[in-house]
Amino acid sequence: MNAFLLVRAHTKVQFLDLIRWPGYVVPTVVFPAMFYSIFDLPAARTHPQNADTLALAFIAWAVIGVTLYQFGVGIAQERGRPWERYVRTLPASVWVRFGGRIATALLFGVITAAVVALVARAFTPIDLTVAQWLRVLVYAIAGGIPFVLIGITIGYWVSARASVPTATAVNLLLAYAGGLWMPPLYLPSFVATISPYLPTRQFGDLLWSVVGQGNALRAVMGLVLYSAIFGLLAAVGYRRDERKRYA
Amino acid sequence: MILAFEDVVKSYGEVRALDGLSFAVGRNEIVALLGPNGAGKTTALEIALGLRSCDFGTVRLFGESSRSIAARRRLGVTPQESGFPDMLTVAEIVVFVAQHYPAPAPIAQTLSAFGLEAMKKRRAGTLSGGESRRLALTLAFIANPEFFVLDEPTTGLDVQSRRRLWEVVREASGDRSILFTTHYLEEAQANATRILVVDHGRLLFDGDAQTLRERVGARRVTYLGQHGPVVAMPGDTDAYVRALVNSGAPFSNLEISKPSLEEAFLLLTKGPA
Repeated sequence: MNAFLLVRAHTKVQFLDLIRWPGYVVPTVVFPAMFYSIFDLPAARTHPQNADTLALAFIAWAVIGVTLYQFGVGIAQERGRPWERYVRTLPASVWVRFGGRIATALLFGVITAAVVALVARAFTPIDLTVAQWLRVLVYAIAGGIPFVLIGITIGYWVSARASVPTATAVNLLLAYAGGLWMPPLYLPSFVATISPYLPTRQFGDLLWSVVGQGNALRAVMGLVLYSAIFGLLAAVGYRRDERKRYA
Repeated sequence: MILAFEDVVKSYGEVRALDGLSFAVGRNEIVALLGPNGAGKTTALEIALGLRSCDFGTVRLFGESSRSIAARRRLGVTPQESGFPDMLTVAEIVVFVAQHYPAPAPIAQTLSAFGLEAMKKRRAGTLSGGESRRLALTLAFIANPEFFVLDEPTTGLDVQSRRRLWEVVREASGDRSILFTTHYLEEAQANATRILVVDHGRLLFDGDAQTLRERVGARRVTYLGQHGPVVAMPGDTDAYVRALVNSGAPFSNLEISKPSLEEAFLLLTKGPA
């Protein structure tokens, strides 16, 4: 069986199982756009020159939230469950299963980010060309990768019960310190010092480079480094989980 | 050989789940794996299915590692009880599983063999216990494999439903091999060509139901005594009967028989009462 077709099959069942839960879809897809409307929409209207960067920051945050929850919480809650155990007995490699999970997260991430983009387009003077929007799409997907791996790490190292608060804390603290909620310029000096080293800031920088801001090279290097570190931790966590006993 | 365990050892920290377990499943066999809770059955199955690795010993599935994808293509497995994604339909789940196998069984035919054709658009979360068990079996059979591993395939069903389901299983499996676990000894007796009894991570017995009843040696003594019916499984039947007669107490309907499979199993796993 073709690996691509299998990844598509895994993506389809995971996507359908989630999209049919209003309790998952509504908070996941609507919250980032809601936060954006409350906190940054007024600023974007009064300071039109900041409209692009503010919207791009929330697009990054939309992707981050989805991936952290989809993986961090999803894996932690599912890993002891009978269906997950059964799927592991099917003739498919671990890469097919992760491929399905990554594709599902990216789909939800893009949908969530698109809602933020639509709100920005409708209510702020944001002004990007089609080519720029395409770059935003590509960067949003690529920049999501380290967060996928951070999520997987949380999923395998943290218990199901602790996964929601852990993912929430990581998400909110990193979003704040990374300058995704307020421009990095306004961060307290201590936070501003560490900010460039955080993956959230690097994701923001990557997207801001579309409108000529942010240090894209440093961002890419940082995101690659974080991907390597958390890729390793995620793999170790996966192996460790196999040695555990579920009563 | 389809599945072979050789001196398999597996520990979880201090707990030794498997302690040198060896057994094999060959062609045309229906093997029941029995054992009390905590005997090591689940761990043995998980190692056989490639879900876990063992600490020592070797496990071979179709002559390969049980993690091998090629070996698992020849294997059909039932999910454990109530383990389906609630929001997916029966058909979506069956199609998803079928996509993993090189030559899956025809979907419509397999659904109707297990009586699910009419409910293929139902969400898995709305299925009853019996319907879930039938869906679990459908997933093992949709693989169209050479070897079935059925983990408690009929748990929670009444006797009639269990028998009906086994008729379908035996019909659909033809002469392909099956390894199954069950809590119902009569199910093992009725369907298995061989019974394996595992306790404390070791193989205590390997043979057919008849031999298991003989093997434990004990006889079952029943009679109507002064205070009502008495059932005993004495170590030495002759001595027991002699003592009963010599006691002078009135009794009637004395009967000495082989133990039931249930009793033989209890004697084997708990030692003589």
